[in-house]
Amino acid sequence: MISTQRVEVGAGAQRPSVAPFQVRGRFFTAIVLQMARAPDAAFFAALDTMLAQTPHFFANAPFVLDLDQAAEIGPNFDFIGLARDMRNRKVTLIGVQNGTIEQNKAALHAGLITLPGGTDVLPETRSQAPAANGEATPKAEAKPAKAREHKVAPLREAPIAPLTGATLLVTEPVRSGQQIFAERGDLVVVASVSPGAELIAHGNIHVYGALRGRALAGVHGDNAARIFCQGLEAELIAIAGLYKLSDAIDPSLRRGRVQAFLDNGTLCVEPLK
Amino acid sequence: MAKIIVITSGKGGVGKTTSTAALGAGLALRGKKTVVIDFDVGLRNLDMVMGCERRVVFDFINVIQGDAKLNQALIKDRRLDNLSILPTSQTRDKDALTREGVEKVIEELRNEFDYILCDSPAGIERGAHLAMYFADEAVVVTNPEVSSVRDSDRVLGLLSSKTRRAEKGEAPVQSHLLLTRYDPERVAKGDMMKVDDVLEILSIPLLGIIPESPTVLSASNVGTPVILSANSNAGKAYADAVSRLMGAQIEMRVLGPERRSFLQRMLWRAT
Repeated sequence: MISTQRVEVGAGAQRPSVAPFQVRGRFFTAIVLQMARAPDAAFFAALDTMLAQTPHFFANAPFVLDLDQAAEIGPNFDFIGLARDMRNRKVTLIGVQNGTIEQNKAALHAGLITLPGGTDVLPETRSQAPAANGEATPKAEAKPAKAREHKVAPLREAPIAPLTGATLLVTEPVRSGQQIFAERGDLVVVASVSPGAELIAHGNIHVYGALRGRALAGVHGDNAARIFCQGLEAELIAIAGLYKLSDAIDPSLRRGRVQAFLDNGTLCVEPLK
Repeated sequence: MAKIIVITSGKGGVGKTTSTAALGAGLALRGKKTVVIDFDVGLRNLDMVMGCERRVVFDFINVIQGDAKLNQALIKDRRLDNLSILPTSQTRDKDALTREGVEKVIEELRNEFDYILCDSPAGIERGAHLAMYFADEAVVVTNPEVSSVRDSDRVLGLLSSKTRRAEKGEAPVQSHLLLTRYDPERVAKGDMMKVDDVLEILSIPLLGIIPESPTVLSASNVGTPVILSANSNAGKAYADAVSRLMGAQIEMRVLGPERRSFLQRMLWRAT
């Protein structure tokens, strides 16, 4: 969920000079291991093979166990032991998903969290962790890549073409009610964006036309993301969760060629020279 | 093979039914076999605007449900040989429309007619969706004001994604903009949007500018498509639009509502 508001904690009647922390919503990608039965020697063998083949892909990644098909894992299962064994392989288990009430209780007891929902990520360009040995079919597989489904907003409807890499290019006007999501890179629109349309990007947003709808850049937490447009008439712009409505934007910048960026935690909008 | 054209808008009351009747009659006048279909189930108006509401026996829904044959429901227009109307039900609602049923009717009509005009209801739900689903071309009727433009924009998005052509990856539905109820004086005053402003937002080719005109109401009251009314600026504009729909390149003339001359205004009491 994108948190669109920054909450300052500790701000009472008198604002302290430095708040102890700021609350922000952030997206992080976790690796989900779909379990078919309780982890055994074959599980760890397959895990080792997977990690050996693409070590960098999994380094520092939070791991989640999907227990949907693992009824075998009972309420007395040793999650603590499993987490420790995985940590020995430099893999951090942070939580479980789709477990029964008993499984969840056991997981919580072990210090894991129970995660709801979650949506799949598009395929990475580098190879997925392949199935290792033939006989002992690895029960753990990196979550298969599927087309993303928007749970919150309607499916994107405009014609889009992925450029090389992860940048999305849109050449037709983005109509009211349409939503374009560049999940892994920048979003480039060579047309105008109508009021009521939404542009969402992991990276930067470039609009070579009038931007009249909403634009949310850096939605996965990239503070360096920027929004560029030829005519700023946006209803709302946001970078990494920090947003500004149209009435908070300096009227002299309306319809102008501008760029928006974060500077020290403030969303700045400046004309392009 | 017939061309299927949907007349849609999103917003209600902008002139879809008036335009369907006028364009349909205009095509028929040019010798094209044309049928106009009312998709506004439960709130039918096309039969009234065409002047055949007293001749409706069977309707679109009857045909879809197999209670009647298509030629029992089709009404031939009394004035124009080439023009037929397929009215819809007044007692049912849009849930009675099914995609398979609509497809069957359109397939049957395809062989007989050159043009099939689908008069869409307002909105973006089932009735509007089915009216546009099988379309080859679309006439997006828009008033030069912000809500109508925004709704038309939404509809353009749906035309490029929720139609059979879009789903099958075929050549996209060709959309045309029909600007209706245009009043040059109000545009000059700034109450209404300029043509260029509308085109800038919607970015589709302009089919015609139909002026606001009291003749539209008069024509609808007597059940005549306004294109058949003498001395109607709206009718003339529709005639130009029909030519453009058939591929001709005509210069856009911007007519206003008919104004009585000074003498006419002085003498109206005497008549």
